[in-house]
Amino acid sequence: MHPLDLVIVVGYLGLITFVGLRLSGRVKSAQDFFLAGRSLTWWIIGLSIIGTNIGANSYVGAAGNAYTVGVAQANFEWIGAIPAMIVASLIFIPLYWKAGVYSIPEYLGLRYNQAVRVTAALITSIVAVFAIGVALWALALTLQTYLGWPIWVGIMVTGTIVGAYSIAGGLAAVAFTDMFQVCIMFAGGLVIVGLGIAETGGFTGFATTLTEENPNHLQAYLPADHESFPWPGVILGLGVVLSPAYWCAGQAILQRSLGARSQWDASAGMMFGAFAKTFVPLLIVFPGLLALVMHAQIEYPDQALAWVIKNVLPPGVSGLMFIAIIAALQSSIDSGLNSTSLMITRDIRHVLIPNVDQNKDLKVGRMLTLVLLLMAMGIAPLVAEMGGIYTFIQTILSLFQGPMLALLLLGAFTKRATPMAGLWTLISGVAVAMACYFAGMNMLYVAFTTFVYALIALWVLSALTPQNEALDFNKLTYTPWSRD
Amino acid sequence: MDPSALPVAWANYLSIAGFLLLGVLVWLIPRRLVMSEAPDNARWRDIRLWASVLIVIQLLIYAVFA
Repeated sequence: MHPLDLVIVVGYLGLITFVGLRLSGRVKSAQDFFLAGRSLTWWIIGLSIIGTNIGANSYVGAAGNAYTVGVAQANFEWIGAIPAMIVASLIFIPLYWKAGVYSIPEYLGLRYNQAVRVTAALITSIVAVFAIGVALWALALTLQTYLGWPIWVGIMVTGTIVGAYSIAGGLAAVAFTDMFQVCIMFAGGLVIVGLGIAETGGFTGFATTLTEENPNHLQAYLPADHESFPWPGVILGLGVVLSPAYWCAGQAILQRSLGARSQWDASAGMMFGAFAKTFVPLLIVFPGLLALVMHAQIEYPDQALAWVIKNVLPPGVSGLMFIAIIAALQSSIDSGLNSTSLMITRDIRHVLIPNVDQNKDLKVGRMLTLVLLLMAMGIAPLVAEMGGIYTFIQTILSLFQGPMLALLLLGAFTKRATPMAGLWTLISGVAVAMACYFAGMNMLYVAFTTFVYALIALWVLSALTPQNEALDFNKLTYTPWSRD
Repeated sequence: MDPSALPVAWANYLSIAGFLLLGVLVWLIPRRLVMSEAPDNARWRDIRLWASVLIVIQLLIYAVFA
């Protein structure tokens, strides 16, 4: 690595740690730690949402996938995000805000029962620990590629830095550092686009070379019989199930919305995030296409981004891009830690321990953040054995996103769904998802199949089980045309 | 009908139709809900407008990458 790049990297790590720790002085209560004292403004929320979203499951993996399948990879940022973000902004965020909850499992607990709350929190937390482990591994791999650090050193250094500001500053530190990190990502990404286009003879030259050798690489959708991304699977599995489940029910994403200073800021923040999301393919898909156009000598598609950084960017700028990758992964790790800590502290601990002392939430939350980080650091070195980064996370997510979304939709839009029906639908839905997955079904179809199953099961079981008449449906369901 | 034989062009048509439908649904949400707790009543704070701009961008994307 060029000395200038090294200076930029060290400067970034120092600055991010300083900013994060500076915000620790603001944390006086559990609400400060988990919801930033309900003080976040819309533009911080929007950028922080994107920082949380761009992580191990996109930056490195998506560039690799784009190298293989082309622009179709960007569906994860367009049809697989924007509609759901609009719905989250206009419908679900106002609903959660009206319910006055800290978390999505807490909303499910109010709408169904505490068993649903604990089950949802437990499943989400387990997946989150793995996701943080994957992000740490991807980060350590990046550090190994550029700095030659052994994987375990990368995991230790990253864990220490992220852990320091996440534990000290809570959501405020996470959101502010996310915002800063997203600005770096866009700066680095736009430089790659500019230099890449110039290097390949302008946009026309780039597009011509790309499509001459790869005729399908500028098509948004791939054929219906494509092995990984068949278009019906992308629309039904990603667009209808995985994306709404992620954007309307994902705790790590929505936590900064619940930490907004007003409902308008919360909704506007998500919508602003959607604007930024529209341009994310420039950062994570374009490098994969560029590597292809420039005939990169790489062994695996996941090496496309690293190749571009090494071969296209001049010293100084490659350091900037390097920290953009670090930033992307760090912002996912810190958000995952904070949201998982919240769910265990409130949604699991408050329910399972009778007469729990809520004054200890802040201390417990910080301690849990540390424990979760250590667990993820333990998992990280094992990730290499588990297959591609992107596929790994998507596979885990697809197993329970369908049932979660069905519970959320019928719970939010109807008064029909009952507590017991919700619980059994969630449990049986995950079992159905696992059966489909082990039967060899494409993950996108697994998501859609289990979603349809869960909708039907919840509808039918609700007719057979009693409703909780004490529920405040005005507060817990979306009724836009009522005068209440 | 074999689902794996469905033409790719249908995917773009479906996406465009879906975004158009969403564009209509957005404007069915009452303004008072969208502006709840907004600092002022300025026109630009109506996030249904933001949603509409986003939808137009998506329509262009799926028309171009067809």
